[in-house]
Amino acid sequence: MLNFKGEQTMIEIKNISQAYGNTQVLREVNLIIKEKRITALIGANGAGKSTLLNVAANLLEPCAGTVLLDGKDIKEMKSQDIAKRIAILKQTQHLNMRISVRDLVSFGRYPHSQGRLKDEDEQKIRQAIEYMNLKEIENKFIDELSGGQRQRAYIAMILAQDTKYIFLDEPLNNLDIKYSVEMMTILRKLVKELSKTVIIVMHDINFAAAYADDIVAMKGGQIMKEGAAQDIIDQTVLTEVFDHEFCIANVYGKKVCVYFPPEDKSAKGDAINE
Amino acid sequence: MQTLKVTKDKKVNGVTIKRISLFLIFIILTVLSLMIGADNNVTIGNLIKMDDTAGQTFIISRAPRTIAIILTASGLSIAGLIMQAISRNKFMSPSTSGTTDAAMLGVLLSYLLIGKQPHIIQVIFAFIFALCSTILFMTVLNKIKLRDAVYVPLVGMMYGAIIKAFTTAIAYHFGALQIVSIISLGTFNRFTNFNLLYIVLVPLFLSVIYATRFSIAGMGEDFSKGLGLNYKRTIFLGLCIIAVISAASFVTVGPITFVGLIIPNMVSAFYGDDVKKSIFDVAVLGAVFVLLCDIFSRLIIYPYEVAVGFTIGIVGGLIFLIILFRRIKYGKQ
Repeated sequence: MLNFKGEQTMIEIKNISQAYGNTQVLREVNLIIKEKRITALIGANGAGKSTLLNVAANLLEPCAGTVLLDGKDIKEMKSQDIAKRIAILKQTQHLNMRISVRDLVSFGRYPHSQGRLKDEDEQKIRQAIEYMNLKEIENKFIDELSGGQRQRAYIAMILAQDTKYIFLDEPLNNLDIKYSVEMMTILRKLVKELSKTVIIVMHDINFAAAYADDIVAMKGGQIMKEGAAQDIIDQTVLTEVFDHEFCIANVYGKKVCVYFPPEDKSAKGDAINE
Repeated sequence: MQTLKVTKDKKVNGVTIKRISLFLIFIILTVLSLMIGADNNVTIGNLIKMDDTAGQTFIISRAPRTIAIILTASGLSIAGLIMQAISRNKFMSPSTSGTTDAAMLGVLLSYLLIGKQPHIIQVIFAFIFALCSTILFMTVLNKIKLRDAVYVPLVGMMYGAIIKAFTTAIAYHFGALQIVSIISLGTFNRFTNFNLLYIVLVPLFLSVIYATRFSIAGMGEDFSKGLGLNYKRTIFLGLCIIAVISAASFVTVGPITFVGLIIPNMVSAFYGDDVKKSIFDVAVLGAVFVLLCDIFSRLIIYPYEVAVGFTIGIVGGLIFLIILFRRIKYGKQ
């Protein structure tokens, strides 16, 4: 993908391998992340999804391979410059920190301001807070918030960081269904309204099916299959990825995965047919 | 825009009032601290009249002492604040993690190795020992993962006691026990010059500038890296700040316990854990607390005085226990 200046604008993952001790976590992974879309990384536990995300965001140095961010090797970039382009949110467990929502959001300006907030930074902070509907609770401490509010506060921080890419590591963990749907709706809005590129590690295959544009299915440290969500949510593909029988149903025109084996074996297949 | 500003001011009002009153108390105590002493000549009236003896007493004895109190107290409180932020543990402080005890060992060794020498050498020795000991303690703490943060000061005090015992053993062997008993008493009444304490201004200045970095580092390594902050460098800078403050204050006034632990905890109850937001209040409250203890120590057996280390040890210990029990009672928040 080229922008009008003819520069490459994308994230390209080339031949990435990673190992912890003798365990090979990633094996020569190649992936190009498409712009202005939500890409979901799915797979069983230990498939290497989170590791891949961490490597792509430069939180983890791979044993081999390169990550190209907008055409440049990420290893040769300053961490501050990377943080201006990629924002990453990992599973959040800072519950013992008493930080107000506003302070948290202002941390997002660190790559730009180095801790000294200018008018422009204050403005971005205010916009992010308003965009995520946090105005009323901006002075509350994050340990006083509900799970959904807290997750929204973290997203506001990422918005204040003002990056093109947003990486999320299982953001739906510990969220009620209501807040999970809210979170995914927000992410769709970010892609549509703010032209963000979102890469998200997910556990719930149905959320990926419903909200992601592209899905990357991983198994054993390798990419099994990648493509548009419609193509990946497929009985044979998923059965292979998860080592488990799947059944794809069609509800409201959306594909839904059913992964409970039928009690009566002969009933199997009733729900198929799209 | 105008209306937005007004509502914002209203919200901030409560905080501002608290801040201003704390600062007023600080000013009053500073003046009191300057006026109290065995020499009754030192009154504001005499000072304005440019009375010679009063002026001399004021410049040579009173003012340096008060400045020493403020610098030590603010320094140790901020050292505690930063230590708690970067270790993500509300119960860390220089005096409850072996830092002060290691500084004492450093000072003793500098006596034994070089003999009588300028204070700056002592500070350097104390700094190196304090830094190494704190790094060791924090590394071990990260490895063993205590079940509850409440145990951290207890383990820290045990660790400090071991270093102290080691110091005493060395002192005993070389017949230097007297030196240990002199340096292990916290007092602002030493006839040393306090000039060395101005070193503390450097780490204080740095901690204000880098306050946001310490807050972010407190959110964790991955969080910091995600924002492009060099985590390891920030932690090391924080440890250096803590060690310089501990070393300089130990050499000039001796061990001042609990201040670094209780002051940041009292402030964070109001303002939360953002270093930038609370650093000013931590510094002022620390100074207020030690000024109060010092004034009390000087008045209780007037015209003589008790070593301020005792008063702070008793009052600070009580407050520490209250914080500890509240923590146990209200659970792991």
